[in-house]
Amino acid sequence: MFELLQQSLFSGLLVGSVYALVALGIALTFGAMKIINLAHGELVLLAAYMAYVIESRTGWNPYAAIPLAFAVTALVSIAIYLLIERIREHRELNSLILTFAIGVILTNAILLVFASDVRSTNSPLLQDAVSLGSVYAMNSELLAFVVSLLVMAGLWWWLRNSWYGRAVRAVSSNRDASMLMGIDPRRVELAAFIVAGILASVAGVALYTMSVVQPALGPALTVKAFVVTVLAGVGSIPGVFCAALLLGVTEAMTVTLASSALQELVGMVLFLLVLFFMPNGLFGARARRG
Amino acid sequence: MIRRTFLLSTLLATSLAVAAPALAEEIAIGAHMPLTGSLARSGQAFNEGMQVAIKVFNESQSKHKIKVTVIDDESQPAKAVTAVEKLNSDGAAAIIGGYGSNIVGPASDTSNRLGKVYITGGAVSDELVARGNTHFFRINNNAGYQRGVEGLMQELKPNGISIVASTREAPALLAKGLEESLTKLGFKVTLHPFDPAITDFKPIINKVKLQDKSEIIFMSAYENDYVGIIRAAKVLKPQVKAIVGAWSLATPKMYSDFPDLMQNVIGTTFLPFPVEVKDEEGKKFAAVYKEMFGKEIEYASTLAFVETMVLSEALARAADAGTLKSGGLLAEMKKTDRPSPLGRITFNAVGDNPNFALSMGQHRDGKIPLVSPAASATGKIAYPALPW
Repeated sequence: MFELLQQSLFSGLLVGSVYALVALGIALTFGAMKIINLAHGELVLLAAYMAYVIESRTGWNPYAAIPLAFAVTALVSIAIYLLIERIREHRELNSLILTFAIGVILTNAILLVFASDVRSTNSPLLQDAVSLGSVYAMNSELLAFVVSLLVMAGLWWWLRNSWYGRAVRAVSSNRDASMLMGIDPRRVELAAFIVAGILASVAGVALYTMSVVQPALGPALTVKAFVVTVLAGVGSIPGVFCAALLLGVTEAMTVTLASSALQELVGMVLFLLVLFFMPNGLFGARARRG
Repeated sequence: MIRRTFLLSTLLATSLAVAAPALAEEIAIGAHMPLTGSLARSGQAFNEGMQVAIKVFNESQSKHKIKVTVIDDESQPAKAVTAVEKLNSDGAAAIIGGYGSNIVGPASDTSNRLGKVYITGGAVSDELVARGNTHFFRINNNAGYQRGVEGLMQELKPNGISIVASTREAPALLAKGLEESLTKLGFKVTLHPFDPAITDFKPIINKVKLQDKSEIIFMSAYENDYVGIIRAAKVLKPQVKAIVGAWSLATPKMYSDFPDLMQNVIGTTFLPFPVEVKDEEGKKFAAVYKEMFGKEIEYASTLAFVETMVLSEALARAADAGTLKSGGLLAEMKKTDRPSPLGRITFNAVGDNPNFALSMGQHRDGKIPLVSPAASATGKIAYPALPW
């Protein structure tokens, strides 16, 4: 039993790190603009397909696709922002409908271009098993975990130390006050959307290397990312990482101790419990009070 | 003389133009397929098979011309119901069903209520034939898949079988049926149902490795799940002797997409690869399919081809008898008794095809010989044999 639990914990942490990568982008735009980008899962998927294009056409390592994936997701992110920016009334609600529609369009565009076949990496290097004591993983999963840590650290540094990062936090705290301080919220929001695009591109490539992608995957990714964001609470990047790991481990433990058929249900129960008892999320309460 | 010849030619051309439509009576039918959404991969293969059947049938005779209108049901039951209603109001004489028991169920209920014959090759749930729908017909069923797997297990005699099954309707039903039947046959069976949203199968495979210690992993799932399960098994390397699966696994496409994962994996099929079609209809289907889509026939497209041919012939018989508009199609469907690339097709009282049975094929270096049952085998099974 101990061996089962060890592997379960390890697998949960690895899966959680990918949840974190997917969720960071949605958390950033939600934190900065109070806008839930329901097309974020499709952006991640778009990046995953860029990895497929690079690997299948050139035979290169899928991680070489990150620049292309970034270019594509950044362009789409800019387009999404420009459309959201045109909303004059009830921006938070109308942007939900708008980004949902963009998600549907992106899913169908991916289906038209790449067909409905399932895709995943064929790189033996990424798929090879590696053992750490009595637990096992694929190289791609360990790599994704490290990438996730680096991306989280980079984002945290950017938000704390760069002018744009601080401006994002200022707009997030009080849009009107930030304008009085000479910040153009539109530029800052656009920057947040582009950074979310970068995060989606890394998440998509990581997802392609360790899992299977298909055109219908986008909404499931968005839901997972949204659950993680709410669990974490607004404004906490390390919180997103911790919440994602918690969700990953909870799901994996459910599979081991009960049944895999229950893992999504248990994840949702955790989500509801946090919403009920800690409406500001696991890591957002102190920031909100402050 | 010239004027006379001109007049005669004009007269002949005019008569042919008037007579042509009378010779080829157009019969409109409808189809709903999941061309987008989560089942799009299967839906598109079904659509291709159906289009080939329409072409083959229309070219095989000159009396009737079948015209099909396809509506994308987006892999959603509600859209499928709307599609059936729309096709009926547009005058479709019959409906070709889509894919997935949860979609076909409500769609065929609607078709039955509207008095339209509904045929499918993409829904295997037993519940579909237990509803008493008089206008429902299908060419494949759960029992056929179950028989194929049971036969293989009886030949291999493993010490235990771990069934890893998606909780979607069709895979769950197959898994439950197999759990019962294999247990009755004396095998130790452990069922591991999983949520379709799962991406990491290592915790499940670890249970197979450390708790079940079975010699066979049987996967009742879909393509994306197969990849995840085999990858997890490749990482954890449980002491199994074979990996076996249900539909859409023993296909050349799976090998070409995931060659490192498919070697020695066994799945249900009815044709070996390279395709060795023995009957004339199958050869014609393979040739036209290659001409239209530039690839070899596959599992789902063959099911769609057969269901469409069966329906087209029944429509033609009813039209010949002058009973198409007075409900004659139903009687003609019930009279169906024909060979096909899937084997003999007849329908019992509840519209099911009792003759449906599948063989088991094994991926071997890009080829898929049939390895079970022994009577239809085209190659010897590699056992124990794994993808790693």
